[in-house]
Amino acid sequence: MGLRSVLREPLLHFAVIGAALFGWYQWGGGESGSGSTRIAITGGHIDHLAASYAKAWRRPPTEVELKGLIDDWVREEIAIREAVAAGLDQGDTIIRRRLRQKFEFLIEDLAQAVPPTDEELSAWLVANPSVFEPGPRVTLRQIYLNSDQRGPSAAADAAALLDRLNSADPDAEIDLLGDPTMLPPAIDRAQARDIDRLFGPGFADQIAGFVPGAWSGPVKSVYGLHLVQVRERIEGALPALAEIRPLVEREFLTERRQQQLDAVYEALLAKYTVVIEPRHGASAASDSPSEEP
Amino acid sequence: MYMKSRNRTVLLALLIGSLTPCALADERSGVGVSGIADQAQLDKVHPSKPNYSPYAGRNYPTMPLFGETHMHTSYSMDAGAFGARLGPREAYRFARGEELISNTGQPVKLSRPLDFMVVADHSDGMGFFPQLMGGDPQLLATPKGRMWYDMITGGRGAEAAMDIIISFGRNEMPDGFPTPGTTAYRNAWSETIKAAEEYNEPGRFTAFIGYEWTSNTGGNNLHRNVIFRGDGAQARLVEPFTTLPPLGSDNPVDLWQWMAEAEAKTGSELLAIAHNGNLSNGTMFPVVEAFGKKLDKDYVQARARWEPLYEVTQMKGTGEAHPYLSPDDEFADFEIWDRANLDGSVAKTQDMLEFEYARSALRNGLVLEARLGTNPYKFGMIGSTDAHTALVAIEEDNFFGKVAGQEPSPERLTKTFLDNPETGAKIMDWEVSSSGFAAVWATENTREAIFDAMKRRETYATTGTRVAVRFFGGWDFDPADAGNRMPASIGYAKGVPMGGDLRNAPDGKAPSFLVAALKDPLGANLDRIQIVKGWVDSNGKTQERVFDVAVSGNRTIDANGRSDTAVGNTVDVAEATWTNTIGAPELITVWRDPDFDSRQRAFYYARVIEIPTPRWTAYDVKHFGNEPLPGTVMVLQERAYTSPIWYTPGG
Repeated sequence: MGLRSVLREPLLHFAVIGAALFGWYQWGGGESGSGSTRIAITGGHIDHLAASYAKAWRRPPTEVELKGLIDDWVREEIAIREAVAAGLDQGDTIIRRRLRQKFEFLIEDLAQAVPPTDEELSAWLVANPSVFEPGPRVTLRQIYLNSDQRGPSAAADAAALLDRLNSADPDAEIDLLGDPTMLPPAIDRAQARDIDRLFGPGFADQIAGFVPGAWSGPVKSVYGLHLVQVRERIEGALPALAEIRPLVEREFLTERRQQQLDAVYEALLAKYTVVIEPRHGASAASDSPSEEP
Repeated sequence: MYMKSRNRTVLLALLIGSLTPCALADERSGVGVSGIADQAQLDKVHPSKPNYSPYAGRNYPTMPLFGETHMHTSYSMDAGAFGARLGPREAYRFARGEELISNTGQPVKLSRPLDFMVVADHSDGMGFFPQLMGGDPQLLATPKGRMWYDMITGGRGAEAAMDIIISFGRNEMPDGFPTPGTTAYRNAWSETIKAAEEYNEPGRFTAFIGYEWTSNTGGNNLHRNVIFRGDGAQARLVEPFTTLPPLGSDNPVDLWQWMAEAEAKTGSELLAIAHNGNLSNGTMFPVVEAFGKKLDKDYVQARARWEPLYEVTQMKGTGEAHPYLSPDDEFADFEIWDRANLDGSVAKTQDMLEFEYARSALRNGLVLEARLGTNPYKFGMIGSTDAHTALVAIEEDNFFGKVAGQEPSPERLTKTFLDNPETGAKIMDWEVSSSGFAAVWATENTREAIFDAMKRRETYATTGTRVAVRFFGGWDFDPADAGNRMPASIGYAKGVPMGGDLRNAPDGKAPSFLVAALKDPLGANLDRIQIVKGWVDSNGKTQERVFDVAVSGNRTIDANGRSDTAVGNTVDVAEATWTNTIGAPELITVWRDPDFDSRQRAFYYARVIEIPTPRWTAYDVKHFGNEPLPGTVMVLQERAYTSPIWYTPGG
């Protein structure tokens, strides 16, 4: 197991988060257990207070101001210890939401801390070809027959025209054939989604088996009947990673963030026993008691 | 054929003229094919082999791109309070066609992808909501901040959102409200840019960088969406312009000034799109003065320079025309919101309407041009949603509401959206309109090409349909051009597209227009194409007139240019279905102005109307089996409005 894959292990992330939180308590609060009565502020922390002040006021604090900052920090520290000791943080929606947000941001940040390698992205691309595989690209010509206008004879008209087209030169001009329409008489190297976008859903499927060069149909669209000459069909090929790397990375990271979040919760859930008690009444939708991790 | 019969005859004549005489006979006998060239033509091979592709070598747009220029996400302060949890990334993913879980936990997906989108979160308080909900101490130390927080966590988010909007309109935002320069603000703008950069895929999906400048003093809506042509590296050089003093201003003149400076600083072009004049209480399209200053050359030039488009339809109403201003236009009464200004604090009076609606603004613009040398209201049309959900879900059968609380639920048919007992302004959720889209004739799907098409106003608005509409004006279109297989080819060759200009009429000639519409492949057939003309008469007064130019079925257009017969109605409201057994899939015609006076300024735009279909309210009743309130509109006729083509004498 290489270093990179180790770094992507959710359980490791949990360990790292745990260690980080532990370290934070050690550093930030000194001996900051709820029973401790010693409050220490390090030289580094004082520098940090001074720097924050300088950033806000665009000048360093004076001696008096610095003392004020330190006094204020000490008050804050006392307030937090006493508040936590008194359980004031319990059941506070702001604090709960903020902590959850920080927890999840940490996991999400870890998910993208190590940029994915080319190998990983290539593997992802192969495993998820449909995301970037364009499918076949088709070049075609089409002749439109307005079935509303032609009525019952439309199908016969189409059949007769098809015979004539297939006995003529395949490159014969078709500009004056069929009925006038805004639909394009020719389309170049279009994907199925572009063809369907023009002629309506299912059209690309209907012409998928047409032999290139020959006129085929009629194909029914939402507009009427179409005789279609597929001129060229280029089978879709997965683009090389280099061509679409930022897009693959975007999709890859989106997926990894979600997976890691899920995996971390999954792993943590294992150490909890969750009891979901029955609701008191059908109407009490908002206060059904449940314990969640 | 689905055009007026005169044109049909001409078209047939054209076809027959170029075909073998037996073609028509074949059709009559029912065994042959009409419209077929003779064998000689079929067998003919081009000696010089021109490009196979008729599009090769052409640089005009061949397909309209559909998109959205006005999407709010959880980054907008009011959207967040209304319950939006999805951000800019989710907004782009949804528009690209991905399935998401909505703000209320429901799976949702578009019928088909869109081509482009602008996430336009409010510049004031951008990042406010994440900051508030994250428990920012400075915000929560203020009584307002604390109150909103408690309201939102207590399940009264919609109430909080309305109060935020009202406080904002009164400039009563609490300390700690994020403003440009603060960390919370910079983070939100930076994330907005990053999301657009990640999801911008030239050729496939365009993600624009933008924001909404929400001037709302006194509850009067003067909002504008600002769009960058350039990329993230450029947009990062500035932070959005806000409306709250001292950093910002609620005066559009100052926004335009900011845009000029931002262009110089970033090297990225910008444009602004105003919306909801209907909620401005007569201040969106002034003709005398604005912000206490008489309209002058500077105002009209700046407005014309920075605001090439107007958002004419969206969820808070359609603003093309108003029945009071256009009593002869039976289609003007469409999804109208005309009870008050945005927050309902001042009721509407009839004298305000003229300065709120697109058509009257286009008319007044002609007069202003004569007076001040520039037409400030020479705008093209687009539609967009203004959804505050990150979900551009405005198909009638797939409507996810304006705010998260209006996502599908049995309650939304009967709930109140806004209620001000003092003014009597009350709007119900069912009145929220499932509209609209911006359609752009761009040469390709890139930021640059779409932006450039917007600048030249080659755009149209739809109320949610993806109908394709062409509109060209020139001096020499003749009816035969309507029979051409490639109307665009003729259109660009002989005229100017929507958004363009005609000047100096040749002697004795009236402008002619080639107009065509192709139904949405997933949508309803077309009822008719109309051309709306506005002009300044010999007394200096503005006038308007609506012409039917192509109608479906066997209906006729009378000597006054109208077809009074309605297309019919196949909607089964209870089942929320309709059939395309009436109307036409495609309409095309050439029309010439019968009353043209070459000395008078004028504009012309096309309006395409679909056959009746179920409104989102009907889909709701069908799905939830609940009872709508009396008076709920259940059927509508979706439509498209093109940008005008202007005629200027002696220009």
